[in-house]
Parts: sequence; C-alpha cells; structure tokens
Amino acid sequence: MLAPWPVALPLVAAAFLAGLGDKLPRRLADAIAIGAAAITALCCALLLAGPPVVYWFGGIQPRSGTAIGIDFAIDANGAGLAVLSSLLILAALFFSLKYFDKPAHMFQVLLLVFLAGLCGFSLTGDLFDLFVFFEVMSAAAFGLCAYKSREVGPLQGAINFAVTNTAGAFITLSGIALLYSRTGALNLSHMHRMIAGHDDSLVLAAAALVCTGFLVKAAIVPFQFWLADAHAAAPTPACIVFSGAMVEAGLYAVARLQGALFGLPQLRTPLLAAGVATCLVGAVMCFAQRHLKRLLAFSTIAHAGVILCGIAVLEPGGLSGAGLYVVGHGLVKAALFLCAGMLLHRLQSIDELALHGRGREVPWVGVLFALGGLLLAGAPPTAMFFGDGAIHHALEAHPIARFAVTVASIATGAAVLRACGRIFLGLGPREPDAPGGGEQDEEPETEAAPIPWSMWVPAAFLLALAIGSAWLPREHAGSAAARMLDAHSWATQVLDRAQPAMPSPPPEEPLAKGLAHAALTVGLAIALALLTLFRKRLPEILRGPVRAVWNPLAGSLRALHTGAVGDQVAWLTLGVAALGASLVFS
Amino acid sequence: MKARLVLFGIGALGFAAVWFAGARKLDPMGSYHGAYGEILNAVSVPERHSTNVVSAVNFDYRGLDTLGEEFILYISVVAVAAILRKQKDEEEEDEDEAPTQLREAPDSDAVRLFGVGLVPVTVIFGLYMISHGSVSPGGGFQGGVVLATVPLVVYLCAGAKTYLRIAPPALAKGGEGLGAAGYALIGCLGVLAGKKFLENVVPLGTPGEAWSAGTITLLNLTVGVAVGTGFVELISSFVEELLRKAEK
Repeated sequence: MLAPWPVALPLVAAAFLAGLGDKLPRRLADAIAIGAAAITALCCALLLAGPPVVYWFGGIQPRSGTAIGIDFAIDANGAGLAVLSSLLILAALFFSLKYFDKPAHMFQVLLLVFLAGLCGFSLTGDLFDLFVFFEVMSAAAFGLCAYKSREVGPLQGAINFAVTNTAGAFITLSGIALLYSRTGALNLSHMHRMIAGHDDSLVLAAAALVCTGFLVKAAIVPFQFWLADAHAAAPTPACIVFSGAMVEAGLYAVARLQGALFGLPQLRTPLLAAGVATCLVGAVMCFAQRHLKRLLAFSTIAHAGVILCGIAVLEPGGLSGAGLYVVGHGLVKAALFLCAGMLLHRLQSIDELALHGRGREVPWVGVLFALGGLLLAGAPPTAMFFGDGAIHHALEAHPIARFAVTVASIATGAAVLRACGRIFLGLGPREPDAPGGGEQDEEPETEAAPIPWSMWVPAAFLLALAIGSAWLPREHAGSAAARMLDAHSWATQVLDRAQPAMPSPPPEEPLAKGLAHAALTVGLAIALALLTLFRKRLPEILRGPVRAVWNPLAGSLRALHTGAVGDQVAWLTLGVAALGASLVFS
Repeated sequence: MKARLVLFGIGALGFAAVWFAGARKLDPMGSYHGAYGEILNAVSVPERHSTNVVSAVNFDYRGLDTLGEEFILYISVVAVAAILRKQKDEEEEDEDEAPTQLREAPDSDAVRLFGVGLVPVTVIFGLYMISHGSVSPGGGFQGGVVLATVPLVVYLCAGAKTYLRIAPPALAKGGEGLGAAGYALIGCLGVLAGKKFLENVVPLGTPGEAWSAGTITLLNLTVGVAVGTGFVELISSFVEELLRKAEK
C-alpha cells in the first residue's frame, strides 16, 4: 500500500510549490518541501523493513504469465537506496534553507522531483519505467547543476553533464529497443523468462548498450569525465545527492538488471576491469586535487569503483557488501560535502591551499571533516566498514581488484585528512603554487556569515547516521543480495504471485580480519596525509623517486580530463565499444 | 583534436560492430511474437472503453510511465525558468549590455488577418485533440502542444506585450503546476477509493464517445493543461527576458 507514495508525494509537493511557491510565505514553502521529503523517507523505511512486495499500478495484474501493466518490485536493496536518497534530499533541503540569499523554492522543486525520480528508479520492476525515472532524475539533475547560472563555469559543467548523460541514455534506450524486439515485453521478470538461456549476440549487445547509460551515471571509467565538472559546478546541497545517491543509483541499476534480467556471467570480467580502473583513476585524481569539491567528487569516482568491484563478482557476498558500502559512503560523503559547503559559506573559499590554517575559526567543522575522512578510509563503525570487509572477502580470487579497492580507500581517506590537517590545523608549510587541480577555487554561493544551525546540524546528523548504520542488520542485507541475484525467484513472485522464501545470507568475513584491514587502511591514510604535508622535511633521496613517478602519473591523467565535451563523448564511444566487444566477441 | 578524432573513430567502429552483431539477430521486419500487443489489442475496448489503444496503454496500462514523462517535460521547463531567472548582480550587468531590439508587431494586415483566422481554429483543434484522446489519435501531449501555439501566433501577429496580456506568466505557472499535480492526484483517487494507484474510479461511458474511458480522458485533460501551459511558460521566459532588455 505504501509503494506509490515515494513517487507520488514528492511530485505533488513539487508541482504545488512550483505553481504557488512565490505566493506562499517562505517558511510554509520550506515546511512543505521538508515535510514531503520526510514522509517519503518514512514510507521508504517502512518498505525497507518489510518483506519483498510487488505492487501493480492501476491494479493491472499479469495475465497468464504476461505482464501488462507496470509493477514496483520492491526489495531491501531498492527500498534501501530510496531511504538513502530521501535522507540525503532531506539534508540538502535543510542545508539550503539559509544557503541561498534569495528564496529558493525552484531549487526545492528540482530536489523533490529528483527525489521522486530516484525513488521510482529504485523501486520499479519494469525496464522502460526504469528508463523513464532515470530521465526524470537526469532532467532534474541538469537543472540543479546549472542552478548558479550566472557563472560560465557552472553552465559549462552542466552542459557536459547533460550531453554525456543524454548520450548514455540514448545508448541505453537503443539497447531496450533491441531487447523489446526480441521479447515483446518490458517487465524485467517477463523479459528474463523470454531470454534466459538464449544469450546470443543480440542479448549480449543489448546488455552492453543498456548498461552503458547507467555506467555513465555511475561515473565508471571511461565514462567518468563529467562527474568532477558537474560537482564543481553544482551548488553544494545538490552535490551531496549527486555523490551520495545518483552515482550509486547507476550502479544499482546494473546490479538489478544483471540480477533480475540478464544473469550473464560474461559481465564479470569487463565490469571488474572497469571497477579496477575506476578505483585507481579516482584515487590518483582525488589525491591530486586542491579544490575541495573536486577532491570529494573524484573520491566518489574511486568509491564507485569499489562498489562496482563488489557488484562485479556477481555473488551475494560482494553484492551485499556493495549495498552496505553504498549506505555508509553516501552518508559520509554527503557530510563531507556539507563541510566543504560550510567552508565556502564562512570563509568564501574552497581551495585547500588558500584556506591553509584559516579553518581554525571553525574548529568543529574540522572535527566533522576529520571524522568524515577517517570513516571514508574505512574506519569502523559504519556500514561502509562492514561493506568494505565484505567486498574484500568476495574479491579473494581477484588480487588485483583487491589491491585497487585498498588503494582507493587509502588515497581518498588520505586526501581528505591532508586537506583537514592543512585547513584546520595549519599543518605543513604554505604552498602558494603547489600542484593544483585545474580549477582552484569557485565563487562563493552566499555572503560570508556565521554558520547557521541549518548547515551544521544536517552534517552532524548525517555522520551520526553513518555511525548508526553499522548496526543495520547485515543478515537481512545478505539475504536481500542473494535474492536480488536470483532472477527465477523474482519471476515467480512477480508473474506467478508466489512468495518465495528468502535465501540464507552468504557467510560473513570474521570481524577481526575486517578490523585488521581497517587499521591498515586508516593507518596508511593518516601516514600518507602526514607525509604529504611534511614532505619538505623528508630527505631528497626519498622525495626524488616519488616525484618521478607521481608527477607524470597525475599530470597525464589530469591532461586527459580536459573538460571538453567532445573529448568526453569520444571516450564514451570508446567505452561502449570496449564493453560491447568484450561481451559480443568473446 | 586529432587524437580525439582517432579515439572517436576507433570507438565508433567498435560501436558499429557491436550494433551490427546485435541487430543481425533481429527478427525479420514486421514480425511480432510477443503476447503483450495481442492482449492489449484484445482487452482495451472491453476493459477500458478506449478505442484508441495507444491512449489506453499510455494513460492506463502503462500510466505510470506517462506520469514520469509528464514530469520530465515539467521539470525541464522549471529548470529552464530557474536558469533564466533574474539573479543578484544581474541588474548592474544588464546596464552594460546593448539594448536588444524588441520585436514590434508587424505592420502587415495580411499577417494580422491570418492570425485572427488561425487562433480560433487552433484553439478548437487543440481542445478537440485533448478531449478525444481516448477515441482517436491525439491526446493531451499533442493537443497541449497545439494549444500552446495559440499564444505564439498572437506573439507573431500582435507583439510581445499582447502576448503577455493573453498568456500571463503567473497563470501559465499555476496551470502548469495544476496540470502536473492533477495527474498524480487522479492517481491518488484510486488509492482513496481503496484500489491501486492510477486505477480507474470513474464511470467508463460508451466506447467511441469523447467522454468515455474514465480516467484516461481525465488524465489526458491534465496532461493537456500541463503541456500547453508548460510550453507557454517556456516561451514566456524568453519573451520576458527580451522585454526586460528592451525596456532599458
């Protein structure tokens, strides 16, 4: 009964606010937006707590195994993503209360429609409906990204974002068309029954095409180029949803389609390879940034790589790890973005080097930021810590992927801690012309003023939730993951109205092993941060070789991130070709 | 630049190869073996009293997709309005810009006469398309776009100020919100009646008549309002920008 509300409620609230927003008192408009997001979060949480359900819109049940209408096929993974999305939107709404100097009901409208898109995307059991909600989410995201349209940078970032993601969406749509021509159906489970066991080149090519649009959204190498530009361009409250939920939604779609529709073991190798590349590129680029939002954006790329590695093993253990990781990462990363937003608000800068020591004015932002950095490196207790452990466990047979995942944790944690040490503790020498990350600063979004409660409370709340997420029931996540990969079980529930038993969860990694691993990554992250800050004190014999490797590596990678939309589309084409060829011609 | 072309060339060749490998296995042109289409053709008139099966699919069997599609259009218009909105410090910048030439009403009786003739016909045709969506080709999306051309014709014949008088932005904005919310609210009616979201709750009427097919016709109306006013708002955003610059 709860199923339609996560989509219907934010849409009605958004239409209401857009139609009447400037006539309503500001407080009332704020209350409507926040109330709608809060009730949505509650509905999704109730769906998460319940067993998997199938809801047929319009009451149009399947007839003799043929789906006629559209269903929401809701499991813990989809409902969990919807809960995460609505919590992040809620935090973004709170944070933006005093963030824009003018009433910002248009911004709230965009956020609410974005939320409806994310929820529909997470819950639907229909391939075309998935695409529709994907587009709802994209259209709202483009608007959010271009919101600061007075500056040239944001418009360019938003255009890159829109062009690459729309190209990806068209490729996905063409894949859907191929599959529809084969099956004459659009329901995931129905299509699965038609193509199971017939994975000829049409199905394989379609799988590659359909996944491409979602991998673009997930910023997987070589589709990642738009992400950092979009994050640097978007207002901070939008960034937290982009990084915390939208990227993950792309990965969720890949897992969902593999589980409910394709069931293709051939996907393992190309997805793992892409995951490894994404971890490494994200880690290097993240560490090379000084613009805080770009730094966090590239860390999102690295973490998307980690999540993809967890999904790509195509086993319940890795998938449930990825699910937990998404929750922990989304909350932590969102809190970090809010900290960056507070710095931009209070100190009117977001450049790590320019802010050297100036963070002492706002020490508790530093506390939040440092805590976020430690958690990002994999410190317990968060769902991210358990997810990281499970992903490692699942990657036992893939040492390279294991290595890449570890590098991603260390480098992104170290980058945040380095920025934290420099900004809030004034560690290390002043570096006026240290290797910069392309764009170094951006125009402040507000007049400088003390940080109001509406900014720091959401950040603290998100970190508290991240810590609380460690106590999420992991067996539940494990059996939900096993269920997600069981297309047959889904099909019987969706089409035959059976209620199959939940599978047993995969075995967990022993806690001691996870703790030891976390101690290693966190320790190395702190060490790496300190070594970078105080590198001038190291003997030249140590610094020389590091420089000789690092400078060309970071330099050449940065040179590829030109920000030119033509380059991004060229890489996208190459990526689809590689993914498709690895499936079709192997 | 050259590297990009090489990169794109290799990618495009690979992409074409993958596409060809997939499309080679397509069924011959015109063959359809899904049960889906057959079932819909058979059930849409007896169940939904809609002689336009496409409308029955769009607004009933797959009505949720259409809700999403309506909001894609809706949020795109909102996003454009948000991007074009007047922002702080824009006032001063405007001073530096050369005033744009405002489009005056054309000094041509032929154009004006043509407009006078076109407007009523277009209004009636648009309303017909929206209200007969369940009977014949057309419906809210198509009719809404036709209706939105009416103010545009007025703009061409009588200039920007008349345009803004017959299509006030506040009305367009309100209508757009109402149309968009209306679709979702009609969906909620089903839940209030103890049925599923978007399930039909009104009498179905006689197949082939304009007021038949229950919620399909009502949803067509809301989409017609949302699409029509949405396009008007889009045009207004640009016209207002022009007016503002011309007044300098």
